[in-house]
Amino acid sequence: MVTFDTFKRGFYKGLSTTWLLSKVVVPIYVAVSLLSFTPLLKQISDFCSPFMKYVGLPGEASLALVVGNVLNIYGALGVMSSLPLNSKEINIMALMLLLSHSLIVESAVAGKCGINPWFVGLSRILLAIIAGIVVNILL
Amino acid sequence: MEVIAWSEFIRTALQGSFKSVFQMAVIIIPLMIFLEVAKDMNVLDGMAGWMAPVMRFFRLSQKGAFPLVIGLIFGLAYGAGVIIESVKNGDLTWRDLFLINVFLVLCHSVLEDTALFMAVGANGIIILAGRLILAVLITYILSRWSGVNRLEKIFAGKIMVPHCSHCEKS
Repeated sequence: MVTFDTFKRGFYKGLSTTWLLSKVVVPIYVAVSLLSFTPLLKQISDFCSPFMKYVGLPGEASLALVVGNVLNIYGALGVMSSLPLNSKEINIMALMLLLSHSLIVESAVAGKCGINPWFVGLSRILLAIIAGIVVNILL
Repeated sequence: MEVIAWSEFIRTALQGSFKSVFQMAVIIIPLMIFLEVAKDMNVLDGMAGWMAPVMRFFRLSQKGAFPLVIGLIFGLAYGAGVIIESVKNGDLTWRDLFLINVFLVLCHSVLEDTALFMAVGANGIIILAGRLILAVLITYILSRWSGVNRLEKIFAGKIMVPHCSHCEKS
């Protein structure tokens, strides 16, 4: 039977779940935004750029992947739109970013669900790289 | 080392944090109310019915259908919210939780994410199919692997999952 109590219970559950997730997301979001104000992302992407040829992408595309994985998809899209990529490269990059993005925040959320966040993050990166190599050969 | 633009950072961090909390509340609270209403009207099992073949394919409990669909459509955090709630109720085993998370972590908020990349010129069919196929493949392989239950000791995080008997039998 649906009563006022049903709504109250749902509202309370929604509120407590939001609170639970906020406790994870907010501190990490703040830390990640701080990271975006340091030269660290540029340094990681410089380190990665020589390896980009294995997934069929130009070296400068590494910044989009690093930004997408550390920060979020929106950041990566911003970097992507400033790069001259052909349609094959766009598809490779899109698939890699779809499989593996916002790693810090999303791994922490998965961690809250009971799965080890390092396991989640590392396996996503690995899978994105494998997918990139395979799609580069297939397309 | 560059000097960090602190005021810019504080503004970005505050705005972003507020936005993400607000966004979560706006989706999770109505979802939970909907879930409670559906439960009290006894229509939840019927709604999960059309997901039954999918759940059987992955050998998951029927109770996992709702978090799976929510995560797939709305996003990982929302799926996670429903998962956490289901775990509290004792509806999901560690195996369910693990497999649903593996699937969702690879494949979530498919409508928005796919649209975003289509907007910059990606082929929607290629990227969506690629993502779905990989998520299904990996979840399927893990679902047929008997070692999944042993992973609990290695990969389990902070949530205590009440042990129930229905999965140990099968």
